[in-house]
Amino acid sequence: MAAASIIGRGTTVRGNVRGAGSVEIRGRVEGDVEVDGDVAVGEDGAVGGNISGAQILIAGQVQGDLTGSEAVLLERGARVVGDLVAPRIGIADGALVRGSVRTEGEPTAPRRAAVSPTRRTADTFSAKPKPVAPPAKVAPPVAQKPVAAAAPAPAPAVAQADPPPGPPAPVVPALGKGVRGKKKAKRS
Amino acid sequence: MAGTVIGEGLTIEGELTGDEEVVVHGTLRGALTTSDALSVAAGGVVEADLTASSVTIAGQVTGNVTAQERVDIQAGGRLVGDVKSARFTIADGASFKGSVDMDV
Repeated sequence: MAAASIIGRGTTVRGNVRGAGSVEIRGRVEGDVEVDGDVAVGEDGAVGGNISGAQILIAGQVQGDLTGSEAVLLERGARVVGDLVAPRIGIADGALVRGSVRTEGEPTAPRRAAVSPTRRTADTFSAKPKPVAPPAKVAPPVAQKPVAAAAPAPAPAVAQADPPPGPPAPVVPALGKGVRGKKKAKRS
Repeated sequence: MAGTVIGEGLTIEGELTGDEEVVVHGTLRGALTTSDALSVAAGGVVEADLTASSVTIAGQVTGNVTAQERVDIQAGGRLVGDVKSARFTIADGASFKGSVDMDV
């Protein structure tokens, strides 16, 4: 195979990186990265563009979609704004993700398993370190509010199932319970 | 070890800027600027204007080369483009087409 490539810490690439072999990005890449080997984005590395490769390991920042033919692994401190697609997806505690997560291959069970850790890590991450600006923007869960609003009408059972495992207190507010209670009373 | 390595089989299309050593075994199209040394290894293909402190060419380069210190074309190396540098060597067996400005 081709030799491993390195984008050093003091280097910026504006354009696309593609070809054979593995790439380690310690600097910045503003463009797509497309290789048939592995891609590693180091702690100080940043990529503004889509990344595709065999195994994708992220410890830095990425703004773009990650597509791994083998795996996508996000380490502690990783910040990804984009979608993750791979047969295996790992998101470590302390990694931040904003986007959809899809594990290719098996349909139902792996998907749910992959989605729930995403929300949990996002919530825990935003709850602890507030100094970082982006997590705060991520924190107000735009997607979850509509869910909470839509849930009470059709299925109260779902709403009851949510609170025990889910850590985020503000997501399931006291309002929800009150609203549900009134609706139940009116209907019965 | 070099700060940035463009491995064999890898292609970068665009602009590469940095402050550390760059070694090109693969392909680069666009522009390259570094404040450290640049080396185009045998098998490396560069179609770009190059700016670096020193440039060593053992592969193929098409583009203008500007170096603060020196430019060396090694045997087997090939450069098509203008060279601007205080020092410039062409090894026996290298090929070069272009003009030279040694800042005389």
